[in-house]
Amino acid sequence: METRQQKPRGKPPAGPSIIADYRLQPGVPDEMIDPAGNIRPGWSALMSAFDDLGPTELAARFERADQYLRDAGVFYRKYDGAAGKERSWPLAHIPLLIDEADWTRISHGLIERAELLEQIVADIYTDNTLVQRGLLPPDLVARNGEFLRPLVGVKPASGHFLHFCAFELGRGPDGNWWVLGDRTQAPSGAGFAIENRVATTRALSEIYADMNVHRLAGFFRGFRDTLFEQGRRDGGRVGILTPGQLNETYFEHAYIARYLGLMLLEGEDITVEDGKVMVRTVAGLKPVSVLWRRVDASFTDPLELRYDSRIGTPGMVEALRQGSISMINALGTGILETRALAAFLPRLSKAIASKPLELPEIATWWCGQPAERDYVIDNFDKLMIGPAFATTLPFDDPRGTALGSSMTPEQKADLIARIRANGADYVGQEQVQLSTAPVYVEGKLQPRPITLRVYAARTDKGWTIMPGGFARVGSSLDTTAIAMQRGGQAADVWVLSSKPVDRFSLLPQDGQKLVRNSPGSLPSRAADNLIWLGRYAERCEATVRILRAYNARLAELSKPDLPILTHARKFLETIDVDATDALPQGLLSSIDSAVHSASQIRDRFSPDGWLALADLQKSAQRFAARVQPGDDATRAMTVILRKLAGFSGLVHENMYRFAGWRFLELGRRLERAIQIARIAAWLTDKEAPDGSLEMLLEIGDSVMSHRRRYSVSAGTQSAIDLLVLDPLNPRSVLFQLTELRAQIEILPGGVDDGQLSPAAKAALQLHTDLVIAEPADMTPERLERLAADIGMLSSLVAAAYFV
Amino acid sequence: MLYDVKLDLHYDYDATVHGGRHLIRVAPISVPGVQRVVASSLSFEPRPHRESHFTDFFGNSVTTIAYDAPHDTLDVRLSARVQVEDIHPPADLSPTLPSLAAEIARFWSVAPDSPHHFLASSPRVQLVPAITEYASEVVDTASSVQSAALALCMAIHRDFAYDPKATDVATKPAEAFALRKGVCQDFAHIMIAGLRGVGIPAGYVSGFLRTIPPAGKARLEGADAMHAWARVWCGQHAGWIEFDPTNAMIAGPDHISIGHGRDYGDISPIVGVLRTHGGHETTQSVDVIRVE
Repeated sequence: METRQQKPRGKPPAGPSIIADYRLQPGVPDEMIDPAGNIRPGWSALMSAFDDLGPTELAARFERADQYLRDAGVFYRKYDGAAGKERSWPLAHIPLLIDEADWTRISHGLIERAELLEQIVADIYTDNTLVQRGLLPPDLVARNGEFLRPLVGVKPASGHFLHFCAFELGRGPDGNWWVLGDRTQAPSGAGFAIENRVATTRALSEIYADMNVHRLAGFFRGFRDTLFEQGRRDGGRVGILTPGQLNETYFEHAYIARYLGLMLLEGEDITVEDGKVMVRTVAGLKPVSVLWRRVDASFTDPLELRYDSRIGTPGMVEALRQGSISMINALGTGILETRALAAFLPRLSKAIASKPLELPEIATWWCGQPAERDYVIDNFDKLMIGPAFATTLPFDDPRGTALGSSMTPEQKADLIARIRANGADYVGQEQVQLSTAPVYVEGKLQPRPITLRVYAARTDKGWTIMPGGFARVGSSLDTTAIAMQRGGQAADVWVLSSKPVDRFSLLPQDGQKLVRNSPGSLPSRAADNLIWLGRYAERCEATVRILRAYNARLAELSKPDLPILTHARKFLETIDVDATDALPQGLLSSIDSAVHSASQIRDRFSPDGWLALADLQKSAQRFAARVQPGDDATRAMTVILRKLAGFSGLVHENMYRFAGWRFLELGRRLERAIQIARIAAWLTDKEAPDGSLEMLLEIGDSVMSHRRRYSVSAGTQSAIDLLVLDPLNPRSVLFQLTELRAQIEILPGGVDDGQLSPAAKAALQLHTDLVIAEPADMTPERLERLAADIGMLSSLVAAAYFV
Repeated sequence: MLYDVKLDLHYDYDATVHGGRHLIRVAPISVPGVQRVVASSLSFEPRPHRESHFTDFFGNSVTTIAYDAPHDTLDVRLSARVQVEDIHPPADLSPTLPSLAAEIARFWSVAPDSPHHFLASSPRVQLVPAITEYASEVVDTASSVQSAALALCMAIHRDFAYDPKATDVATKPAEAFALRKGVCQDFAHIMIAGLRGVGIPAGYVSGFLRTIPPAGKARLEGADAMHAWARVWCGQHAGWIEFDPTNAMIAGPDHISIGHGRDYGDISPIVGVLRTHGGHETTQSVDVIRVE
């Protein structure tokens, strides 16, 4: 690594080094610069690589990382109103470097810690000897909202309570790492760590390749294999249980599900039958045996835990009692996050492991004990004071936690009085003094406080530590500004090896057995959303085509009361579209509905498809603000149509032909058939004014084909023939029904022992009727009936697969 | 005292229920030295598709039932024969109020009967200053924890009106306290909130009260419905003692207990999650007949 400085890449640095302006905070340790003022080895390589690139190229590289994150649609949800907003992931571009020796100490300490936590939680939920031996105050358990009484005595099916934990670390003034908090409930962020890594290496690929950075994939592979092994042993599927798309880190749940090949499940996707957890799929109920939950335990079962939970599964605790499901982590493990518990870990470690923890937590005093309470009151100005039963990290909790030194005398007197009255509710903690690391701000490096989040996973070989993680970087020098909800950023963490590293990938290795999930695994809710995504996308397209035809004529004739225009407006009203607006609300709602359906199944289709859809929504909203009816609107509709085609094309060309694609396709075909049948009925009505036939052909995108095929005998019959009965026209009703029939028969249970399902029968019937029909048979009434029958077909599909 | 207890909880749903799952806590349990369940049977109409049993954290008997098929009504029927011991009111072995805290602190246990579970706010009993102040005044001159509990039990009976129309099953203790009205559930909750407010561990008991009044005595209120009262931890030696604030008495041989918890939520007769839209009408009938 040191050789880099001796052989710069051709051109000398254009100006002063990027670190020339880096000014440390007095008395605060820094990750890059050691106490003697020297740049640490790994950092020196990184900085000279930055200098080699030069300021312009470096800025362009960092922009590339941001572009990647935007393109990949990486977001988290910021809670700042009634509904949280999606925010792009705030990447701090410079990775945090940690050398191998430091990392070995961290890993070792965290494995020891995870093991201790496992023993503590196992004791709390079984024999409670720790309380009886006087090592853990009964109050901390009995008054704790995370002590889940229904889980007492329930042995985890996997044999362990903890499987995946995170630890928040900070480096103190003495240079040692300290634990600021243990995350044992449902730790988030592991997926963001991967995205940080991908984005950072997009920007710094050759530097990354040169620096022997430990890879993350091996860690995930080990954990995934352990989950699947457990699933195979217990004969069920492995899923991630998410609270749903309104959750802060839903993107990450969808990402991890896609990355590791797990089912993404919400509470309503699963049901408990005879004490067994089953997922509702399009092929019926299928057993689930491992759930990696990202839902707080008390929300997982409205019957036995929080009665007001709307995202839970009634009977989940029953399933746990029967040992039929492994929960990652066990329900109730959130109790380990209790802030006051940190005060007892030193003595618990000595009692359980007969030695102090190698990686200790920041000093903590629980005011439920007289001596500790007095200490906190006597040293008030030196401590952070917070709620004893909080499970948030101290600096993520601006309302609940305060620095003694920053309070007014009145606030101080008030809080001290409350501590004297209800000491058990309060905890004092040593003020967090964090080290700084460089962050890139407008072309310059500035020191910012950092914390390090590290992940531990239990595999069949024991605990493993992710060699990396992510660093949270404050938005200012104030340590309380680290939370991302308040402008903090996240940086990749590079653990540097002294020798070349293994390059794992999550792609299957040679000789490794390929495991394919069976097509029946598509959850019903996802299938339902896919159908509706297809239907809304197609409904948008039909609406846009009509609106384009309408506005083109409006521009040409500039008489809004012409019969053909009035006729078009009336039809559009039947689908809640007011054509007097250039960009009617009805169309915007359909687009929003498509986006909404898509957002619930983001694990199921490509980031490109999602981006195309988001772009479409943005364009439509932009048009709505400024576009005028007539020519302007015609052009806008053409743009929207092209974007819709872009979305459909991306999905059609890139989506794996699996049950998921099939339902999306069903939705599109159903809606297109219904729309074309209705439009044909409307424009061939006996009251249809002059110009209707041209409009029909234009909306059906069949003007050219019509001219070519029926040059002599053009008329209503030929238009109906082409748009309804032609088996080769991809816009005809018959074409849609041919596809529908084929797809419905391939669905699970579509044809069983030669028996057709009700939906397959209905599709066959509709298809056959059209095959033998003559254009003259297709009166407007018959077309309306056809549209209604296809609507019924949609209901039959829903009844078979979504109940 | 030997009793035959019959209970029918009837639910009439506004809209057809397409499936659901319930936890039922209505079957009395045997408590050594207090009551013994001779026989007990629980039945449901319509017949559940699945039924299972477990004992919850506090030792209560719970039945889980699940339905897959549509139904418009649900009947939960209990029939039990229970022997209740006629224990004479115990001599007061409880500590003084100021020394109770130290006794609790010496109790290093979180076993189900540990007083530690019954000191803080619980989901249905939030400690509120108004009730705490009321309780402090009442127990001010009490010489012991047990006499403090009895004083509060009597005070609630004196100060509150029994009025089934004033509150419902979801009424919070603070609301009932402000109204000075309610039913057994409200009085038990207020007593629990008051006792916890002054540092005395207290929990909620659900049960039945015998129907036919002994000759010469007034009919006890709440007899035709399920009943509820409070249990109070009166120190290491006295242990748990039950008080009925609705009837201003220490619970005795007329009280048949189903079970207990921190508040109504831990021992509510039925908890359900249903696939339906719309509410339901509930009727309950209770018969407690003395056999011998």
